[in-house]
Amino acid sequence: MLKRLLLIRGAELIALAILGTIPLTVSNSYALGLLTLLAIYGILLIGLDVTVGYLGQVNLAQAAFLGIGAYTTGLCINLLGWGMPLSLLAAMGITLVIGALLAFPALRLEGPQFALATLSFTALSTTVLNEWESLTQGAQGLSISRPPLFGINLGASGFYWLCLVLMILVWLAMKNLLSSQWGRAFEALRDSPIATDAMGVGTYRHKVAGFAFGSSLGGLAGGLYVLNFQYLQPQVFTYDLMVILLLGVVLGGRKSLWGAFFGASLIVLLPNLLSNRLLFNVISAIGLLVAVAAGVYGLKKKTMKLFQAMAPVVSMGILVAGGLMVENTEDWRKAIFALMLFSVVVGLPEGIMGFASRYLTQLFRIDPPALPAASALDDVLPMQPADGKALLQLRNLKRHFGGVKAVDDVSFTVSSGHIHGLIGPNGSGKSTAVNVISGLYAPTSGEILLHDKALPYGSLFRVARHGVSRTFQNLQLFGELSALDNVMLALKGVYRHPLPMVLLGFARKEEKRAQADALALLDLVGLRDQARTKAKDLTYGSQRFLEIARALACKPQLLILDEPAAGLSHPDAGNLVNIIKRVHQRGITMILIEHHMDVVSELCDTVTVLDGGKIIAEGTAEVVKRDPLVIKAYLGAAEVTAA
Amino acid sequence: MVVSGALMGLVYALIAYGFQLTFATSKSINFGQGELVMLSAFFSLSLLDWGMPYWLMIPGGLLFGVALGLVVERTCVRLALEQKSEGWILMTIIFGLLGFSSAENIWGRDDRPFPTSLPTDALQVFGVNITPLEISVAIGVFTVMGLIELFKRKTLLGKAFEAVSADRDAAELMGVSATRTIMLSYGLSGLVAAMAGILISPITTVGPTMASALILKAFSVAVVAGLDSGFGVVLVGIVLGALESLTSFYLGSGWREAPGLVLLILALAIRPNGVFGKATIRKV
Amino acid sequence: MLKVENLHAGYGLSEVLQGTTLEVPEGKVVALIGANGAGKTTTMRAISGMIKPTKGSVTLGGKAIEGYATSRIARLGLAHSPEGRKVFGPLSVEDNLLLGAYNHLPMFFGFRSKAAVELGKVYELFPRLKERRTQSAGTLSGGEQQMLAIGRALMAKPKVILLDEPSMGLAPVIVLEVFNIIRRLKEAGITLLLVEQFAKSALEVSDYAYVMEHGRIAIAGTPAELHKDERVLAAYLG
Repeated sequence: MLKRLLLIRGAELIALAILGTIPLTVSNSYALGLLTLLAIYGILLIGLDVTVGYLGQVNLAQAAFLGIGAYTTGLCINLLGWGMPLSLLAAMGITLVIGALLAFPALRLEGPQFALATLSFTALSTTVLNEWESLTQGAQGLSISRPPLFGINLGASGFYWLCLVLMILVWLAMKNLLSSQWGRAFEALRDSPIATDAMGVGTYRHKVAGFAFGSSLGGLAGGLYVLNFQYLQPQVFTYDLMVILLLGVVLGGRKSLWGAFFGASLIVLLPNLLSNRLLFNVISAIGLLVAVAAGVYGLKKKTMKLFQAMAPVVSMGILVAGGLMVENTEDWRKAIFALMLFSVVVGLPEGIMGFASRYLTQLFRIDPPALPAASALDDVLPMQPADGKALLQLRNLKRHFGGVKAVDDVSFTVSSGHIHGLIGPNGSGKSTAVNVISGLYAPTSGEILLHDKALPYGSLFRVARHGVSRTFQNLQLFGELSALDNVMLALKGVYRHPLPMVLLGFARKEEKRAQADALALLDLVGLRDQARTKAKDLTYGSQRFLEIARALACKPQLLILDEPAAGLSHPDAGNLVNIIKRVHQRGITMILIEHHMDVVSELCDTVTVLDGGKIIAEGTAEVVKRDPLVIKAYLGAAEVTAA
Repeated sequence: MVVSGALMGLVYALIAYGFQLTFATSKSINFGQGELVMLSAFFSLSLLDWGMPYWLMIPGGLLFGVALGLVVERTCVRLALEQKSEGWILMTIIFGLLGFSSAENIWGRDDRPFPTSLPTDALQVFGVNITPLEISVAIGVFTVMGLIELFKRKTLLGKAFEAVSADRDAAELMGVSATRTIMLSYGLSGLVAAMAGILISPITTVGPTMASALILKAFSVAVVAGLDSGFGVVLVGIVLGALESLTSFYLGSGWREAPGLVLLILALAIRPNGVFGKATIRKV
Repeated sequence: MLKVENLHAGYGLSEVLQGTTLEVPEGKVVALIGANGAGKTTTMRAISGMIKPTKGSVTLGGKAIEGYATSRIARLGLAHSPEGRKVFGPLSVEDNLLLGAYNHLPMFFGFRSKAAVELGKVYELFPRLKERRTQSAGTLSGGEQQMLAIGRALMAKPKVILLDEPSMGLAPVIVLEVFNIIRRLKEAGITLLLVEQFAKSALEVSDYAYVMEHGRIAIAGTPAELHKDERVLAAYLG
């Protein structure tokens, strides 16, 4: 515990002490200007890292938000005569709103479309800043003078300290955010957006909020930017800047506050690097050596393919050769960025911090903080009354894919407190049926009622919120999260603090409570000792059980288990039966898709048999087993021939 | 004016068609496609400067485009696709940056005129003023797109191309190499970009900045029409081109870019898969 | 013709195949049966290169093919009709069949005439496909899509066909039809590895069979031998 505190907090405190005391010892105004920019870009990149790192999307709009924030602050000061705090808040507010507005349509998109949407947003905002001359004075530029802060005129070092303080606040807020349910959700939705939706954690809401938050940090940085330079031109906030910002985040290392900080230092230092010829030659030569060493090492250890090892070497080689041949390196600025960025993206995809932190954690094995005691299961998963009334009703449900009728006119009723078996040969429509119930697919026609009320169609998230939870035939765990985090993410009814309170660090207590509750559920499926193990490192059987624990964390009225026994070894299959029995004792209604007839007979109160998308039999397991149609379906053509 | 705008729109459609080609096979597009257009145009101009006859310059320029397309595929796309990551977005942006900077330094930052052998006097067609140049644009665009579509429908290799875009795994099971098909699509997409450069340069001019102006509009067209919509791009391209000339006439030339961008963001908000695109089915 | 020895393969960290060994002699139909999740489909995918085996060997006609790209294995004469059929939905039925013959037809022109003989054979076997030759494959019913998938595999003139769950999702009458077709393929001397959930039917059409459990071959023998095996009877034949 102490070691953890010393190492992690220690590094932060040392960096802070150095950065804070520099103005006292160095009076060079140029160096101070660079440090101020470092703090501003630090804030900007932390904001950009939310989308690029945590949400895993290529965001090309951060330069635009810097610009919008800068103009907002500038205009608030010039036209409205507002003071510094208010104009900075205005910049954050406006970029937050615009960010959210952009995110609503854009984040429904994936990958390339998202990048395109943000790219055009940047182009559009540059156009507007340029052309709306009555407000922004267009290409002429906008001059402002820095207003005093609470009556004090800030000098260069005073303004630097302000920027530094703001960067620290942003840093702390991000730490709070990342160690809360929000951070977990960010991490999880990259692994499996389908599962976050199915667990009732809105994938989309989290993305939009994350993007808007990151954008508002861009706005804050923009406000500071204009206060620093006291002059603005629209041309600054274009494509070029955007690429440089991406360079900063990627080179520094995604998903890391330190990475953003290193990235910012790099961006600040780059222009100086290019203006000094000797320095450039030395650094590019070092880059080449690193690339060669890393390539040889990677090839020897077989962790890299030939292309991955060679490409950075070639690219750095071009940089070195070019540095010796070209007359003026400043002219080739963009090409130089491109070559450096290329080498890093290919050769060192996790960036400098990603690389460093891997080695540092190996070096000083830091123990995670201790876990609280598990909550009582009765508090986490209260007994539900099993009154045998109709819980879920399907009426004439159909789902067709092109010419294939996967579910064709299916009606059945699941009674409260029962385990309802859904069986049938492969491809008989069982999985499609539960996919329609759980909202992954919208039905082609038909009705789904829960407690006699219509269940929402075609939205995993909304169905989950109505109390229907599920596991997946092909596991959809959050592989990078620990078993504990997988369950904590899905926990319903624990996280009550809104985002601003989370940023201020008020969510720690509910976090402890969530840990305790999640441990109780892990205990139920026998995984308590592996709480800290990453889900992807668990054995296959344990992964299946973890999915059940995670689905239970949603506190469902109806739990759908989609082939939980597929691929399980014999002892694990036995464990599974016991787990399902334990869940049954809590009064939770279940739909169980299963192939093994013995498991079905042992567990299910009622069984529905599907074949070719239609129901061919229904009743208790014993009745169904003797049904001639079922025997035919299960044993196939041989019997049909005889009949 | 609207008509010449619409003809410009055909060029956007042609570049957008290049996006569709690579998106079909690999679900990836080249964010540096504008630079491909620009570099091919510059290269073709140099071919003319070196004394190559006009009719030889065109295949020369197209070949250069194909080569660039293949380079993009090998250096920027293949690794990311193998890793199933979206790294290619960043990589192709980087490639574009490199291309831009190289063009600036090799051919200069200024716009240069691109000679043409066609007469520049306007003709009266159905009461509309059209220059032969603009007609050549329309002919060029439709020829290239028509030939590629014909290739896709009438040859087995073309059918294999379609098979890869329908189901990559199944195509591999037929013996179709997905990697080669993706290479082919990038080559074709480079060819299309070069054609767009050669067609548009005599009307505008050739300069490093032509890349970013063109690419954004092509993006708009591709996204509004849908990245898998086939000929939808032509319609959207024409509409966008016409809209642009109207905006720059009524609002001033600085706002030229705006309709495309607004259209794009609107399309994304209302129909993210494009006006002519198909909805995708999520699988578990 | 096809030989698999000590094959290991899986997805990510879970190793599904843990040393599978089997053999498909020329001109024979071999069935692979077992419970869901036992690794039957994974075996097929590892043979055709859709997933890379981590250990073990696969030989086709005496040539080692493990680790090759899927398309290369296909060109060497292995036709894999995958689980879920995977026909090319937007393409026409005939185009689907022509693509099946991709490995031995010319790329650009004249491929239609070169394919005429094979195409005729497939249409003879599946008259329904001939009726629907211009229709896009995605609009076919499940049973027709299965016929198309088998026809597409035949077009390749392959050394071996891997047929994965041809009965999946089909109505019993159609399943019957599918097994009749497999019988006809057997009479025509086609070498076939068949994965089936309907163990009894699969055994009826096959010359030899393997039973998989937990990524390994648990039992092997002729259908007659398996019918006598109590373990098989209890678990799969009811």
